[in-house]
Amino acid sequence: MGSKKILLQWLATSSHHKPHMIRRHLGIQFKRFYSLAPQLHPLLVSRAQTLVQDKKELESKLETYDAELQLKFDKITDIIDRYDRLNTVQSEINELEQIAQDPSDEELANEANKELDKLVPEAESLVENLTNKLLPPIKHAERGCILELRPGVGGSEAGLFTADLMNMYIGFASVNGWKYKVEGKSSGAGVVNEAILSIDTPGTYDILRHESGVHRVQRVPQTETKGRVHTSTAAVVVLPKLSEGNEASLKEDERQFKPGEVRIDTMRAGGKGGQHVNTTDSAVRLVHIPTGVTVIQQDERSQPQNKAKAFAVLRARLAELERVEEVAKQKAMRTDQVTTTDRGDKIRTYNYPQNRITDHRCGFSLHDVPGCMNGTKLGELISQVESWEFKERMQDMIAVEAAKK
Amino acid sequence: MARLSPRLIRQAKSISSLLPPLLRANRTIEAAQRELNWIKRELPANEWVKAVEARDRLVPLQYILGNVPFGNITVKCKPGVLIPRSETEAWVIDLSEKVKEVANDEIGIVDACTGTGCIPLLLAHELDKVGVKTRVDAFDVSVEAVNLANENKDSVEGSSGVNFQIGDVFNVNILEHIGVEKVDLVTSNPPYIPFHDYKKSMFEHGIERSVKLYEPQLALVGEYEFYLELLQNIVIPGHAKAFVFEIGYEEQAEFVYEYLRDYSAWRVGIWCDYNDNVRCVIGWNVDTEFVKLKDMCDHLYEPKV
Repeated sequence: MGSKKILLQWLATSSHHKPHMIRRHLGIQFKRFYSLAPQLHPLLVSRAQTLVQDKKELESKLETYDAELQLKFDKITDIIDRYDRLNTVQSEINELEQIAQDPSDEELANEANKELDKLVPEAESLVENLTNKLLPPIKHAERGCILELRPGVGGSEAGLFTADLMNMYIGFASVNGWKYKVEGKSSGAGVVNEAILSIDTPGTYDILRHESGVHRVQRVPQTETKGRVHTSTAAVVVLPKLSEGNEASLKEDERQFKPGEVRIDTMRAGGKGGQHVNTTDSAVRLVHIPTGVTVIQQDERSQPQNKAKAFAVLRARLAELERVEEVAKQKAMRTDQVTTTDRGDKIRTYNYPQNRITDHRCGFSLHDVPGCMNGTKLGELISQVESWEFKERMQDMIAVEAAKK
Repeated sequence: MARLSPRLIRQAKSISSLLPPLLRANRTIEAAQRELNWIKRELPANEWVKAVEARDRLVPLQYILGNVPFGNITVKCKPGVLIPRSETEAWVIDLSEKVKEVANDEIGIVDACTGTGCIPLLLAHELDKVGVKTRVDAFDVSVEAVNLANENKDSVEGSSGVNFQIGDVFNVNILEHIGVEKVDLVTSNPPYIPFHDYKKSMFEHGIERSVKLYEPQLALVGEYEFYLELLQNIVIPGHAKAFVFEIGYEEQAEFVYEYLRDYSAWRVGIWCDYNDNVRCVIGWNVDTEFVKLKDMCDHLYEPKV
């Protein structure tokens, strides 16, 4: 395999994570066509510029000391300092690039390249840092996650598709070397009725939360005799993993709720109980009274273990609910409702006859169904959604800023 | 019990041929599937058929799998010894939390009619975690029970202070027999099903067939006599500070309350399980730190005047 091919392949698999690195390698390999200076997204640049304005206003107010304002001022100053430094580094990089590309003085070009090796990573880390500081953080981004999969419309074909999705996520987890566990799987006659996959590796929630929603499949089911294409769906819910869900974490989980906020039912038959009966039913049901969210756990033989798991799931569901509401609130502030991505909850279509998977949020199509379903190509789709979401979030943020003024 | 419908059996068979034999004990496909999962998880594949066949004869799943989870520990189960119940598990967990609050560095416990040893082993395990030195003298009249309890002791962390011996609660010198002079806390899950209920089926408020067929009558049949002996032979002569006894009927709690009428320092309350059945009678001496056990009670008896 030629080195160009290797690079292109790398570009295809990991371009989302290290765009600047790749540009740099391409630049060394071939002629540089564009600057390799890492750039801050234009929307973030405009946000940084409004901060400069804010700083001036704060300065005039701070003539009389105010601890709270001072703190805000320091925060803004820190961001602006970094932003200024980024501008300086970027212009230095641009100049050095000119020198490096000049064929007349090889020694000087080498020097310039050496300098670039130092400056580009610095700019990269500045861009990353500023992006994080300028965008409001994603709640629970650093957590692991719980995936819940359920069939939607389409009968047993939907159950088969749910099993396929489950295998896709298991494949994706193994490709990435994540620790995962199938927590619960109820199936009958080859179809999955419900599956719960728990991924412990921190930060996986931030990646997989994009998978929440209804997934639609269009294909000829195995059970179909006349070769007709059917459309079925499966629902995926991704929750942040806030606790381990074992007896050690139970107390901490219970403390999150006020007394009386959660009703705990153990689902046993009535009657005398105790020595009179010898039941194996260990199901636990939790009802969160303010929201009505209900969780049932019954996979373990031990009732306390089921209870601990149920509390972990309840916390995760409530956290997700809170996050979704927050996002909706921010969206509501946006005046330009131009995006028409809202097709119910349907986020993605898997079209087998056309070997195509389309994500309806970002409009991206991947033409490799088997590659996606075994988990190796799913990352590509997710990174497209990630960059779409990044732009969305910035537009939301600008709308929120505008509403404040 | 109502006959299983042929439709239900056919439906179970379409999922797995191992499922229909589990329906007799479980009645629903979902419950049967859960048991099948546990059987598959805990037993080697060549024992699955034998296991579901035994379950079809209503052998308790805990005897088939050979164990039962009990709080944070797992307790071995064998025919001839009563299987620990989840109600017992619940009150022992509650009690261990309370004892953690009141115990200083040391506590002396006597557990009567110990069976598998589940109560003292879980208490010792939990208290060991918070650094309380626990000495438990537990006894049972059955040799099988004491042997099994000793086996269980080997697999439970923090149980070195637990001793199991053969002993009879009807022996007036039982404390001397097991070598105890003074005790802080007395626990027991004595037989509490009156013989007239033992003979009845579930539908007449009696007992489950699986219990009647496979669990030892010795560990099940009793009425007031055990509570009388526990108080007379252990609580009072051992100067206990508190006790927790499992019960099946409110009358048994009343009996204990009536007995303690003559002792002005004692208070009595009731602990109810998750089905709101009365499950424990709890007593404490008001002049001791165990007055805290009051917080566990769902119902308190009036102090006597």
